[in-house]
Amino acid sequence: MGTIKNVLKEELGNSLQMEKDYLRELARLPKGSLVKKKVKGHEYFYVILRENGKVRFHYKGKLSPDEIKKYEEEKFYRAKYRKSLSNLRKQIKFLRSSLRGKQSV
Amino acid sequence: MGNNQYKLFIEVLRRINKAGVLKNIVLIGSWCIPLYKEYFSGTRYITSITTRDVDLLVPLPLNIKFKVDIENLLKDLGFILGFRGPQGYIKLEHPDLSLEFLVPERGAGLNKAFKLPQFGLNAQSLRYLDLLTTKIINVEVDGFRINLPHPALFALHKLVISKERKSKDKREKDQEAAIRIIRALLNKGEAEKLKLFFLSFNPKLRKRIIVILKEMGQESLIDVFGLVSL
Repeated sequence: MGTIKNVLKEELGNSLQMEKDYLRELARLPKGSLVKKKVKGHEYFYVILRENGKVRFHYKGKLSPDEIKKYEEEKFYRAKYRKSLSNLRKQIKFLRSSLRGKQSV
Repeated sequence: MGNNQYKLFIEVLRRINKAGVLKNIVLIGSWCIPLYKEYFSGTRYITSITTRDVDLLVPLPLNIKFKVDIENLLKDLGFILGFRGPQGYIKLEHPDLSLEFLVPERGAGLNKAFKLPQFGLNAQSLRYLDLLTTKIINVEVDGFRINLPHPALFALHKLVISKERKSKDKREKDQEAAIRIIRALLNKGEAEKLKLFFLSFNPKLRKRIIVILKEMGQESLIDVFGLVSL
């Protein structure tokens, strides 16, 4: 029985450290999503994000395909890391509640 | 282990294999235990819980003429870099798996992480890992083969390192895993093989193993292997 409890304890420690690492990676990624607007037949790009509870558009102008790809990749990784962080927090909650049990796990 | 976790584990190995470097890596640690199922097929073998930690041993010297950026290889699966310990060795982390690269420590040892430029990572160097590479077996997993230490070496190594563990919990976990594998080897009729690997260790380590088995109250195992008379 002790073995399972020890594994859970170890996993909780790892999860807490991993949570910090995911938060660090998310903080590194620039905020906002790229949106395209068509004005008089020309395409212009903006980064849309929320600042102090308000939605703001930041003008980026015309972007090269490489720059667009970079924004798309950042969006992909932000979504991926957010999902991972959410899973991780569920695991932390589960591990904490399992370890809090009065009976030896 | 969860189904998603196993699928991710296989995907990681598949990508490393596709990059052409899986043959240069030996899987060690708790993830060996479920993979030994193939080796012990036909005998009574119970696997145990695997943690998220996947330990990948890189035997030295690493003779690879090309570079494989493992972080990039796994990035779209959601792995991120994590830095551990004062030496800052790297872990590739995911909520379901945590990959760590290890190399055998030699001589006076290093006070820093061991650089593996071929993989774009650094590794943690640890004592006694050379014991695991004396005899490598490989098992088929989803259409490719992965290197594992021979189960007897895995068990004996676990006993050796259990003595080094500061945490009582980890010490007990290592010892339980070792005994589980030793019993499976006995069921498979491989006591003689176990004895031969034991004999290949230096006298200091052999003595350590016997002392640990005695401390664990596993004298019957010492007798079974004939270790007392060795």
